[in-house]
Amino acid sequence: MPKHIASGLKYLAALELVRDGYSQKQISKMLNVNKSTLSHYLNGRNISLGSIEIAEIVREFSPRDFLVFTDAIIEDKEATKTIVKTCLVNKYSVEVKDSCIGCGICVDTCLIDAIVLDDLKAHIDSDICCGCRICAEKCPTNSINILEE
Amino acid sequence: MELKVNQDNCLGCGVCVVACPVNVSISPEVSGGHGSKTTETIMMVENGVIKLFSEDKCTKCGTCQVFCPTDAIWLE
Amino acid sequence: MAANIKEVKAKDFNVERSAEEDRELSFKDESCVGCGVCETICPVGAIKLGSVGAIVRNDIDESKIEIDEEKCVLCGMCSVGCPVDALEFTVDGTPISEIETYPKLISSAEIDDDTCIYCKACERACPREAITVARQLPDRSKLVTGEIDIDKETCIDCGICEEMCPADAITIDQKGPEDFDIAVDKDKCVYCLVCKKACPVDAIMAACRTCSYGEYDLDPKDAEVTGKALIDDDACVRCGWCEEVCPVDAAKVEKPFEGELNLDLDKCTTCGACVDVCPCDVLFFPKSSAPATLDDKLMKDEQFCIYCGACENVCPVEAIDVKRTGIKCTPTKSKSWQKSIDSLKTN
Repeated sequence: MPKHIASGLKYLAALELVRDGYSQKQISKMLNVNKSTLSHYLNGRNISLGSIEIAEIVREFSPRDFLVFTDAIIEDKEATKTIVKTCLVNKYSVEVKDSCIGCGICVDTCLIDAIVLDDLKAHIDSDICCGCRICAEKCPTNSINILEE
Repeated sequence: MELKVNQDNCLGCGVCVVACPVNVSISPEVSGGHGSKTTETIMMVENGVIKLFSEDKCTKCGTCQVFCPTDAIWLE
Repeated sequence: MAANIKEVKAKDFNVERSAEEDRELSFKDESCVGCGVCETICPVGAIKLGSVGAIVRNDIDESKIEIDEEKCVLCGMCSVGCPVDALEFTVDGTPISEIETYPKLISSAEIDDDTCIYCKACERACPREAITVARQLPDRSKLVTGEIDIDKETCIDCGICEEMCPADAITIDQKGPEDFDIAVDKDKCVYCLVCKKACPVDAIMAACRTCSYGEYDLDPKDAEVTGKALIDDDACVRCGWCEEVCPVDAAKVEKPFEGELNLDLDKCTTCGACVDVCPCDVLFFPKSSAPATLDDKLMKDEQFCIYCGACENVCPVEAIDVKRTGIKCTPTKSKSWQKSIDSLKTN
């Protein structure tokens, strides 16, 4: 069952990526799916409608639930990142306050590698950030603000 | 860390009562060895043996243990 | 997320988190002076200073600080603030003292081997036993010159010379009741002529040439003491005793903190807790100058104070006030780190 939902999510992401103009070769790499499976997906074959329906429901989850769920069922980090980026379209503005102590907990927590440390301060890439706010909750000094744009 | 006493070992000499810097600040007459009865001090000799009264005031400086000749008062 | 793993070994501990980076904090109780700077600087309240007075004075088997590994976020601030390097913090195995982005207290203690005369004054004065002076003394035989000869025919085997020789240079080998060998070890003999003067039968002929023309036979280079003065960085607290006692100014110490040490002698009850915990031998009780006189209750040699504050923390009656007015530290771009370091200053 989780495998079916994973296929559904990859299907949704693949559709978006095709629309964005990526080739099937690129998409198969980005989602870690072999090319023939991918072309089956895109032609609506070998994937049950139920999986797609469930994936669409999952897409309505809050960013945090969507991310945690996707991370749990997709066993490939890069594919998770691609799915999250393509399926969650909202933009977020991120601010790391000067009270940041550079402990790196946010870096360790972030499931999609959106955070790096530089000069003892966290820097969040707003292009990658999906607004899950897990880092903000874990931050020991409450230094992270994430706002939907 | 807690202040402990063993009355079986205690000689009742009162050195700890006098040496304790907190006792002195609470009750100067105690430091003079008069042993006036007050439960405000950390410890006092009562009926010939040491007894703890206000051990919550102890700052754990270890002075009583340094001076006790029979290991009857200690921090653990 | 990776949870912190704590490992306790006797009074030392390690806290570690391995994820994007391997972060590790190690505490060495032996180096810790119980100053509590780590407790003050910790941004998440994970460190608690123990009952240092009781622990140090009564040799209690307990660590001077406690860490709550659930609270610790492994930021490394405690390690930067620790003036005695009892807390070491590493990121991916590299100590942060070697990583430029982290600030670092500026302190040092050095003994210049070119100037040092290896007198060991610093080794004796160091309150932390952090200094070892390893020295090689010159050969005694190269500092003196003379001649000595014992006439075995005249010698009566009395043993007086052997017993009196201050340099243990004469040995008599008793082979039988009347059979013996007597020998002088010329590497040990200093030509003091004690044997010659003491010999009851004038069997010893000896002359010292050191103070007459013999000086020319001696090379001043042979009289040089060589060696090396080593400071154990883990034990050194930068108190400055070595610099003060060094007769040739070979020792140089830079302290990380500046400040003031104030004693309130009206409050002091002379319990001695501060004297016992001070890592720098700054505080002491004066000797009575005459019977039945009481000088000051407590005295200080403030020039050796590192303003760590251990004495203030341990005083049960608030008779000590340690003011830290300056922190010598390398710069950091992080405002929160700068703020934390500045918070070590007292107002």
